[in-house]
Amino acid sequence: MSLLSITRLIAIAGLLLGVLGIAFRLNDIMNRPFRKDLSRGRGSRWRGVLNAFTLGMAPWEKESGRLHWDTYIRGVLFHLGVFVTFAVLLASPWLGMIPRWIVWLAVVITAAGALAGFIGAAMRRLDKNERALSVPDDYFSVALTALFVALACLTLLAPAVLPVFYLVSAITLAYIPFSKIRHCVYFFYAKFFFGQGYGHRGVIGQAGGKSTH
Amino acid sequence: MSEAKFSDERFQLTDEKAKVALDVLRKHLNRQLAASLEVCVRCGMCAESCHYYVADPKPEHIPAYRAEQLRKLYRQLFDPLGKVARGWVGAAELDQEMVEQLINTAFGSCTLCGRCTLNCPVGVETRQIIRTARAMLTAMDMTPKGLKATVEVHLESGNNMGVSEEDYVDTLKWMEEELQAELDDPTVKIPINKPHARVVYTLNPREVKYFPYLIQAAAKIFNAAGEDWTFATESWDATNYGLFSGDDKAAAIIAKNLENAVNHLGGATLVMAECGHGFRSQRWEGENWVGHAYPFPIYSFVELQAQYIREGRLKLDPTRNPQRVTYHDPCNQVRQGGIIEEPRYVLHQVVQDFVEMTPHGVENYCCGGGGGMLSMSEFAQDRIAAGKVKADQIRATGAEIVVTSCHNCLDQLMEINKHYKLGVKVQNLSELTANAIVWQK
Repeated sequence: MSLLSITRLIAIAGLLLGVLGIAFRLNDIMNRPFRKDLSRGRGSRWRGVLNAFTLGMAPWEKESGRLHWDTYIRGVLFHLGVFVTFAVLLASPWLGMIPRWIVWLAVVITAAGALAGFIGAAMRRLDKNERALSVPDDYFSVALTALFVALACLTLLAPAVLPVFYLVSAITLAYIPFSKIRHCVYFFYAKFFFGQGYGHRGVIGQAGGKSTH
Repeated sequence: MSEAKFSDERFQLTDEKAKVALDVLRKHLNRQLAASLEVCVRCGMCAESCHYYVADPKPEHIPAYRAEQLRKLYRQLFDPLGKVARGWVGAAELDQEMVEQLINTAFGSCTLCGRCTLNCPVGVETRQIIRTARAMLTAMDMTPKGLKATVEVHLESGNNMGVSEEDYVDTLKWMEEELQAELDDPTVKIPINKPHARVVYTLNPREVKYFPYLIQAAAKIFNAAGEDWTFATESWDATNYGLFSGDDKAAAIIAKNLENAVNHLGGATLVMAECGHGFRSQRWEGENWVGHAYPFPIYSFVELQAQYIREGRLKLDPTRNPQRVTYHDPCNQVRQGGIIEEPRYVLHQVVQDFVEMTPHGVENYCCGGGGGMLSMSEFAQDRIAAGKVKADQIRATGAEIVVTSCHNCLDQLMEINKHYKLGVKVQNLSELTANAIVWQK
């Protein structure tokens, strides 16, 4: 069995472990009671949810985004890089068949994503506030994910790196349920509840709602 | 973060107390809270959304830092790595040090204003996390004494200031006489326990004790609008400090008392006085505390004033309020209740020169008086310091009058007015509305 095949199997094992861990996490949160709101609505819950996942995430929408535009952009680039990295991982057995322009687009996005990730990890140490909030897992998770993205970029440029990419992918995927990276699952819950709650109260996503800053 | 010390015996953690606190955490841990505890990525982007941080920018004042105090315990209990690699994921056991941290963060330096939640990129409900921490502390009998007493007095006497029914009724009758004299109109009434009225109106007990002219203002508005309204004697206090102590049982009893009063009178709607947390408690949280939907709708008096004006039921002369006026949005009305445009609509009709603060509306800063903070003297110094943000906002408007629709805001604004020498007058919205009414017999 070739090194590539072995590392690919390890990556698949990492993926399975990650999926299993996330399934446990999902099972845990879905077994918790859902707090039903009995109050009469002032606005639409669903408009609130729609807003939370669309315009509510626009860079100008929140004061925090306007003030921390650099962090916001870094976050967007990093996450775009992560999404493309997953695509690279899934398409890895057939990389040679992908059109060059797509490969180069993916190289640019993953390079920017990895850079944003490594800067993010460094900022976590350098910025007084982020340092005060951080635990060791925060540094490790961001650095590991940035490495995962960087290796996707390198794999696209030099396919010989693929076995290393598979190994790091296995570690990253298996680590997701145990680390802050699992926010990727809870993000959808938190945003949904946020949109539902504030939509119901007519605060976001409706005419006469959040419009006065 | 406040550094107040709590050395009384009741603030000492025992095994039994720890068990009670953990039970409360488990009970509160619904899907919404679990998502908020899990999702934070500790980016720190919420920092400037907190008035404590803006006034004193230290990491302890970042909303995420406050929430971390409870997350440490959550990880210890529910995170697989929290049990085997505590330091790696930042987990910690409930001990005396954590208890003191929780008291100082949950009670001492957070007004539950919700500004951080609206500014969180991932939607963390820090307010829910902090209220859960308060609930745990209250279950351990570790509520700061002023807040604890406020809830206890309400449960014992039916209102949070221990006003007797006799004093309450006397004050209403006195205000009726005053209003009749002011308007030279003996037909104006302040009805008490009128059955089947369209509106049952509530008060903050402070209006009975210290600000009876606000009762007069409300009565003038109701009479001018030709409203079918009444006060109740069975239960009339709009406040509910169970919201702030995190005590859902007490909050439910208080909310239920008001519901009963309306039901027994056969009232069609319940209208909450200009009391931010009282409105939020009864309008948005009450039905969840008592476990059923009320058979009547609830409105804020601010909404009702806007409705009267829209319907042409009030003849108004804005030249009677010629000074420059700005409006402070109470967090519990604007961010927690969606009352954004109504007070502005009213002010445009009743004053000549209305100017907005920056920012305002949903993004308005908390004045510092929320979260029951005014009842907790231990944290008064920090509360006034955090109020500097609001003071700076007010000063920048050049306003002579600051209007709000909340008694806790009113008190805090009066204190920061004095402390920061703003030289403004602080008033409730209904005062300006009443003043602008052109009385027609």
